[in-house]
Amino acid sequence: MSDEEMIKSGIMPFLSARIKETMLNIPSECFKGMEEIRLRCGQPLVLKIGDRDCTLDECGQLQEVLSRGYIVGAEDIYRSIAAISENSLYAFEDEISRGFITIPGGHRVGLAGQIVQSGSEIKTIKDFSGIAFRIAREVKDCSQRIMGLIYPCDLEPVNTLFISAPRCGKTTILRDVARHLSQGTKRGRGCNVTVVDERSELAGTYQGRAQMDLGPRTDVLDSCPKARGMIMAIRSLAPHVLITDEIGRHEDIEAIQECVNAGVAVITSVHARNIEEVQKRPVLRELLATHAFENLIVLSRRHGPGTIEQIVRWDELCCG
Amino acid sequence: MLWLKTLGVVLVVSGFGSYGLMGARSMDQRVEQIKNIRLAMRFLEKEITYLHTPLPLAMVRAAQCIPAPASRLFEDCSQTLQDRQGITINEAWSQSLEKIRQKSDLSNGDITVLQAVSSQMGMSGAEEQKKLFTMIQEHLNIQEERARSEAESGRKLRSYGGFILGATVVLLLL
Repeated sequence: MSDEEMIKSGIMPFLSARIKETMLNIPSECFKGMEEIRLRCGQPLVLKIGDRDCTLDECGQLQEVLSRGYIVGAEDIYRSIAAISENSLYAFEDEISRGFITIPGGHRVGLAGQIVQSGSEIKTIKDFSGIAFRIAREVKDCSQRIMGLIYPCDLEPVNTLFISAPRCGKTTILRDVARHLSQGTKRGRGCNVTVVDERSELAGTYQGRAQMDLGPRTDVLDSCPKARGMIMAIRSLAPHVLITDEIGRHEDIEAIQECVNAGVAVITSVHARNIEEVQKRPVLRELLATHAFENLIVLSRRHGPGTIEQIVRWDELCCG
Repeated sequence: MLWLKTLGVVLVVSGFGSYGLMGARSMDQRVEQIKNIRLAMRFLEKEITYLHTPLPLAMVRAAQCIPAPASRLFEDCSQTLQDRQGITINEAWSQSLEKIRQKSDLSNGDITVLQAVSSQMGMSGAEEQKKLFTMIQEHLNIQEERARSEAESGRKLRSYGGFILGATVVLLLL
């Protein structure tokens, strides 16, 4: 499916009629590389195409100057929220309290508005003021180049840590790694993979079903806290590999050590631009010091999302 | 000529009488239809507050537990929502109410009550929805009671009134 078809069938039905009509006039080539559609009440509609922020004027012409863009009204926000939630906000209370709703196709819709707290917990969001559609894409075989490092021998995947700043493609690569490991590669048979997907990004789960192809031997623990999910998976799902995204808390590190000591390979990611930045974070420094990860792979956007900037093996790291 | 006059008398009296009987029947049916909508609303409340079923599906299920024409209100609204034409629940409900107005015995007052209470349907958390449905039940109970007392007082009047009016017209014509 082309990007244009995917956005027209997967995202546009959830936009208000006025924005939908405006977007129908966009030239086809602009759909390619479109990453986000942002609606902010009283502000121009913003389309993130690659690294550019564009807007659309009333006639649907693409504009670089945001002030010329179509101004999103409260009505547009209300109608989009109604469409995203199937006019049933009560059915999405948990998702709303986490700040996003996943729609069919695995696209994530981030929500902004007035936060309602109950004690120290966020109960819900009301009076929505902003919506961010983040377009989820599967880039099949984007991890082909590094699969040899991650899965060198049959049923012995290697602990790997992806280091990447936001929007550098780490989730897309992790998803592809999960699929390859699950399907099997030239070097080995398919493994049991468990994806602990705390923010429903990796699998894009909608109504209990993964919207992304993660392979035939993959189990998904959706909306599950990473640390608890990893321990649960070891006990109940007998995985060869555990894949999770964006670790950073102390309990995540403890759970990773538990998995590694239990003979389960862990493939995960952290937010940082390079290894030096990782080492500046006390919790992650502690993790690196355990030498739990045999591969460290640094990603960037230098040649587009998913550019492999650096690959470091732990023996190189500890021996300089 | 006598047979023609007799035929005329029978036609006039039975015509007015049937109109009166239909009016009486419509009053009874109005009570029944409000009761059915109230029962469906109670079912909808359970689907929303306990099962968190999305509104289009919850409405289909609610429609299945009541007879037509009240069930058409929920079926039609559900279908409009499932078409994903960017229509909100308030608009879909209004459209469905307009359609059912022609096919049911509901009064303008009933339609207005149903329209007013539905504006927040679906668009808040489960707790707020529970409060909303409690209010809807109260409004519908009032409407049902009103319809029932109107039916009780008006049933005989309409049933007999039609024939009496028919007979009066015949006497005047003769």
